[in-house]
Amino acid sequence: MHFRRLIGSQVYWQQAALVWAGVALLGASSCEPGRPTAQAAVPGTAQPANFPKMVYELAKNQPNAATFALGRQLFYDTRLSSSGTVSCGSCHQQSRAFTDGQALAVGVGHRLSTRNAPTLQNMRWRRGFMADGGVLGLELQALAPLTSAVEMNTPLATALAKLNADPDYRRQFAAIYGPREIDTPQFLRALAQFTAALTSANSRYDHYVRHEAGGTLTAPELRGRALFVVKCAGCHATDLFTDESFRNNGLDRAFPHDSGRAHITSHPTDAGRFKVPSLRNVARTAPYMHDGRFATLPQVLAHYAHGVQPSPTLDPLLRQPSGRLGIVLSAQQQVDLLTFLNTLTDSAFLANPQLAPPQPPGLATAFRAPK
Amino acid sequence: MKNRIFSALAVALLTTAVLSGCKKDGDSSEPTVGTVAFEVENMVGAKDVALDGTAYATASGETFTVTTLKYYLSNIKFSKADGSTYAAPGEYHLVDAAKPSSTSFTVSNVPVGNYTGVSFVVGVDSTTTKGDPLALAGDLNPANNMYWVWATGHIFLKLEGTVTSTNPAKALTCHIGGYRAPYNAIVTASPSLGGATLPVQANHAPTIRLAANVLKIFDGPTPIALSTFPTAMAPSAASVQVANNYAAGMFTVKQVAAN
Repeated sequence: MHFRRLIGSQVYWQQAALVWAGVALLGASSCEPGRPTAQAAVPGTAQPANFPKMVYELAKNQPNAATFALGRQLFYDTRLSSSGTVSCGSCHQQSRAFTDGQALAVGVGHRLSTRNAPTLQNMRWRRGFMADGGVLGLELQALAPLTSAVEMNTPLATALAKLNADPDYRRQFAAIYGPREIDTPQFLRALAQFTAALTSANSRYDHYVRHEAGGTLTAPELRGRALFVVKCAGCHATDLFTDESFRNNGLDRAFPHDSGRAHITSHPTDAGRFKVPSLRNVARTAPYMHDGRFATLPQVLAHYAHGVQPSPTLDPLLRQPSGRLGIVLSAQQQVDLLTFLNTLTDSAFLANPQLAPPQPPGLATAFRAPK
Repeated sequence: MKNRIFSALAVALLTTAVLSGCKKDGDSSEPTVGTVAFEVENMVGAKDVALDGTAYATASGETFTVTTLKYYLSNIKFSKADGSTYAAPGEYHLVDAAKPSSTSFTVSNVPVGNYTGVSFVVGVDSTTTKGDPLALAGDLNPANNMYWVWATGHIFLKLEGTVTSTNPAKALTCHIGGYRAPYNAIVTASPSLGGATLPVQANHAPTIRLAANVLKIFDGPTPIALSTFPTAMAPSAASVQVANNYAAGMFTVKQVAAN
């Protein structure tokens, strides 16, 4: 029984694949120097020097080109929604750092979600997911939008049935996990190979802190950065620009419609607390806040400067010793901060063709330039 | 180079073969483990539960129908008169009143001996429910519709139907789950074997026949009136009360068959 389980398990196939891949690579290396390894073919697997340690380590779901490609196909497949019109990529568009530009996410039949679609980036460094932290793992996370009635509206069993009925998916899954029915762990882990690859670590700011070529910041940007460290980094900490905590940033005085973290913990002290979002690519992720209420970054800064509302769970960092609420920010300081925030845009990430929707097979041929 | 790799592989294979050979030698004595079979009969009071609209009455005279009854039994433990226990690892069984095959299952590798007690979690332990999705196969698969993605965890017990004694009739939606304080609904049932002994031997698979009485979901340490019971679809104080009720009295041992 145990032996059969091992043979049937993904670990077995992964290990078998690794052994053969290793043998194949060693064999190939002598005749084709410089050929990329399977891992290098998957983007976003390296640990950036200026990031904290990865949470979702490579070994948890060893990246390889075939599984990444399968995950990418799943991510952009609209057939996984009940209407056949919505994919993960509908609300998570690469050019917007995998957000959708809408205040509230739009699902099947133009149904509105209760929250703003969050960015998908640097997922390997996340512990909890969703604005309330209710989902505890990257692999599990995909099930939330898939099954939500206002998002993709597909029961998991239906999604698995669709995959199992598709010869192309069956072939791809079988090549990776062995010839058996496509099940929940296979589906979630394949999809996670794509979302885990969404690493954004090559903004001008990153080049600056890593002392790399192209890493120069202007005087106003440096002023903005100095301000940021003092005024903002208490929550938007580390080079991930979030400390992953849940905080009430004073948007409202009460939270009857969305209590945030309290929805998960049932603790009244968590009412109105939401996950501190990363500010990477923040210039591309408008509108802002968990409900998309602010259309622009100047509006966000204005909120912190003079819009913070009191409530029992308001974050202590937004109460000045004087009793004043919010963060003391002059108009000029807000301009400098905006200048700095623009250095967090990672153009290479936003345009990486490996992260874009896959071309349907045959399309490359169809669009070949005429002779 | 290639030769060396294949040599290494060959050595690894040989080592594996030799090691497994050693293990077999060690196992050559009498088998020391046996199997215990479980059979669960889902009932409402003294009647088998029917999911066809049959109306049932609670102790206080409220009436209701059942369309869905599903729950997990896991973390099965056997205890002996001397107080020692055996906890069977990896046992997660989704009992679904609509699927006769789900109402019986076996627990293997139980050390032989005479057991005098049994206990099990009605639900799933928090480590497993929020753990690696690799575990989310078989009965634990979220595709079984016993899972809250938004809160990362299984629904431990699902009872759905209609309360017919209210006017108008109202939906009975009772989804119990949650493992975070203060609304931790992970509960253990320890139905008495009534003095019987469960003799686990290498060549015999004794059977424990359990009755699962739906009425006890609402009738227990905290009696709950169906007329005022709120729709339960998230961890809450009411769901913890329900869990404590079904832990206390829903499961009884009808028979221990030595076989």
